[in-house]
Parts: sequence; C-alpha cells; structure tokens
Amino acid sequence: MHPVVQRNPWQIQRDVIRALLIREMKTRFGKWRLGYAWVLLEPAMHIMLLAAIFSFMGREFYPGIPTALFMLGGIAPFIFFSNCFGKGVAAVESNRGLFNYRQLRPFDAVLTRVLLEFAIYLFSLVALLAILAWFGVTARFNDFLMLIGINLLFFCFCLGVSLTMCVVGTKFPEAAKFAPMIVRPLYFISGVFFSLEQVPEEYHGYLSWNPLLHVIELTREGLFASYHGVFADLPYLATSSLVMLAFGLLVYRSQWRDLVRSQ
Amino acid sequence: MIELRNLTKSFKTPAGRKVLFRNVNAVFPEGKNIGILGRNGAGKSTLLRIMGGIDYPDSGRVITDQRISWPMGLSGGFQGSMTGRENAAFICGIHGIWGGSKRKVLDRVQEFAEIGDYFDAPVKSYSSGMRSRLAFGLSISVDFDYYLVDEVMSVGDAHFKHKCEQVIAEKRKSANFIIVAHSMPTLKKNCDVGIYLGPSGLQIFDTVQEAIALYQQGIPKPAQASVGAQK
Repeated sequence: MHPVVQRNPWQIQRDVIRALLIREMKTRFGKWRLGYAWVLLEPAMHIMLLAAIFSFMGREFYPGIPTALFMLGGIAPFIFFSNCFGKGVAAVESNRGLFNYRQLRPFDAVLTRVLLEFAIYLFSLVALLAILAWFGVTARFNDFLMLIGINLLFFCFCLGVSLTMCVVGTKFPEAAKFAPMIVRPLYFISGVFFSLEQVPEEYHGYLSWNPLLHVIELTREGLFASYHGVFADLPYLATSSLVMLAFGLLVYRSQWRDLVRSQ
Repeated sequence: MIELRNLTKSFKTPAGRKVLFRNVNAVFPEGKNIGILGRNGAGKSTLLRIMGGIDYPDSGRVITDQRISWPMGLSGGFQGSMTGRENAAFICGIHGIWGGSKRKVLDRVQEFAEIGDYFDAPVKSYSSGMRSRLAFGLSISVDFDYYLVDEVMSVGDAHFKHKCEQVIAEKRKSANFIIVAHSMPTLKKNCDVGIYLGPSGLQIFDTVQEAIALYQQGIPKPAQASVGAQK
C-alpha cells in the first residue's frame, strides 16, 4: 500500500502539470516514426517550404536579412499562437476522460498544452537558427534580454487566448468551425511573411492594434540587429498581453464549473 | 467527515428542468460506508460524482477533508496510444507518487491485473476485460479514505471476481466506500448508511436496511401511486 500523501495545492498543481506534460509528450510524438524529431520537423517543414517559395521568387524582404531568417522570425511565433488557439478550443472535449480525476481541471489541460507548445516553439526557433547558421545563413544578432522579455509576454498572451478559447469552444462547439477562419486572416495582417510597411500609411493605425504584429516585429528586432519594425511597441505588447491573460483567467474562473459539470 | 450543504442539482430535459434533489443537508461521520440506491435516472451516479468532487451541483457545497478516489474501475481516463504502464504512471503522477514508490505501485498493479506482458502494450490493443482489470488494479493500488464505487464491485472472470472481493474486504478495514448499486446483497454487506433517491427527492437513513426497504416497497408501486394521487 502506498498512501497518497497530503499535499498542499501547489504540490498538487506541480504534480498534475508534470504528469500531464509527460503524457502529452508521449501521445503527441510517441506514436510517430522518428518520434520526438517531429518537434523540430513540423515547424521546419512549414518554414522551409515558405522560405523556399519566396527565395525562389528571388525577393529580399528586408535589406540585410536573408529571406529564410526573416520568415523564421515571423512563422515560428505565429505557429505557436495558432497552436495555442486551436488546442484551446479542443482542450475540454479531448480531455473529458481526465476530469474524472478530481485534481485535474480544464485549466491544467490548457496550461500544459501552452507550456508544451511554448517549449517546442523556443526549441525549434533556436534549433532552426543554428541549422541555418551552419549553412551560412546568418544575420547579426541583436538583443537576447529583449527576446526573453518578449517571449514571456507572448507566453502570457497565448495562455490568455487559450483559456478564453477553452471556455468559448466548450460553450459553443460551433466555434471550432470558425477558429481557422479567425486564425487565417491573422496570418496575413500580422506581417508573417511580408513587411506591413508596404500597406498604405492610412491603415497603419488599425493594423497596430494587433498584438501579434508587435510580437513578430519585436521578435525580429531582437533577433536581427539590422531590423527595425515600424509598428514594434514593447509597452503596447506588455499591456495587451497582461490584459489578455487577465481576461482569460477571469473568463475561465467565472465559467470553469460549467465546463466540467453535467447539465 | 463528508458534509453536504444546501445541495441542489437539476438536469436539463426537453420538458424543462428536472430536479434530482433540492437543498440537501447531511453530515456523514467518519467510518461510515454509504450506499446509494434508487431507480435508473434518479441521479445516483450524479450524487456519487458530486460527493467525489468530479461533478458539481447547481448550488450548495460538499465539504470534506477526506481523500476521495476516482470512481473505482474507471477506464475512461486511459490514453489508448500509451501503454498500460505509462497510463498507470500518469495516474500515480497526478496523485503525487513518483520515483521508488511509483515503481512499487506499478509492480502491484501489474501483479493484480494479471495482464502480464500486455502491461507494456498500448491500451488500445486491450480487450475490454483487460482494460477493466488494469483500471481496477489501479484503483486499489492507490490509498484513499473513501473509494467511490459505481455499480461494479468486481470485473472479469470468476477467479478475478473472487480476488476483487477479497481485496475490497481487506480495504474496508482501513477505508470507506460510497457505493451505487442495484444489487441489494452488495449494499447490505458493505454499507452502513443508506441514501434513497426517489421521486420525492433524497432521503437519508441511518441503516442501509431502511433505505432498501423503501426502495423495494417502491418497485411495483409508482403507477398505482400516481393514480391514487390524482383522485
């Protein structure tokens, strides 16, 4: 017999997140051939494909920065965001069976997924930068500390989005159908694969409302010394991230029982 | 101690809300095994799950300082692509069992479930019997103050059933059970306190016999009773 020791809430939270992380890793990558290599291959294929197309077109997007690197700085954060968005919508339905264990709540499922996506994002970004550098595709690095700050804020932002979508996706299952319709346009207005400076000046005011645009421009600024985003505004990103996180937590807190409760 | 305070639960039906019970107040002292009976759809499982902190009432609270298990023998939380061992390790993890004690629990589960080498095969390749054995083995390998039992006290073949009954008899010395069952002998043998969920709501009895008596009295009655009420 092995007693379940009395744990305080923090220990329970820690145990649950740790167990869930192991489980997510095993289910996501365990079943495929090459296993964990997909952590890297998934975003790499996406980025390389787009980079190849645009390199083929022979355009340089930003003077002084190789196309592949420019793309990487935009696509990697966007994939992270879009995964958090999609996983959030499905978080409750795909984990129903788990909520039979009383210490497991939708919050844990969402937090685990966002944490895992975040780790994959950072890992793949660093690994791909290293691989490209090995092939001689480099640009002068700018500011490591700024990257840390941006990514912490970005994590908060995505957690907020994911929590909100978890509630929305469960209360309105139809939302799953609309999710791609929301994410896809964001792809184009967030400056993922072209610089939004080409858009007429009069629309800049509207575009700059989009926090993702700030994330992407700031990430590029942190990565490449020669990049200067026209929109990039760190205080705005900080505010919108914290507001998004607070909003997500509030929405979740007010609704979480309904997500688990039989109606 | 498990305390129910102002518990109300209802379900949405096409014909409006159906109230299962309203403003229930009760205190179950430590060391009492609780039996829940009632007809199909009366809300027995729901009450069990509310007491176990898995489901939530419309209003009211369940207050307890006891460690309550997940429904015994439940296999819904298994991830098909993971092996039995990995699934068991996950359950250990969320209950704070890591390292050496985890290995001991896993050995115990493997031994009890008698699924041999299948323990290291993906759960989706299991037969339903093997799945239940694994789930049951897990349930009894983690220690709780209260175990929730929904209908099944034992699964599998005669040999395994016997083994389960032995283990449950052993468990009853150190832990309590909350049982939902339609089998009266099971309830009589295992329960002290009875909860009857009837059409008029929830009634609690100090002995399970009284609840059983009321339940059995109610079996042929409902049709006549409603006619009588209309007159």
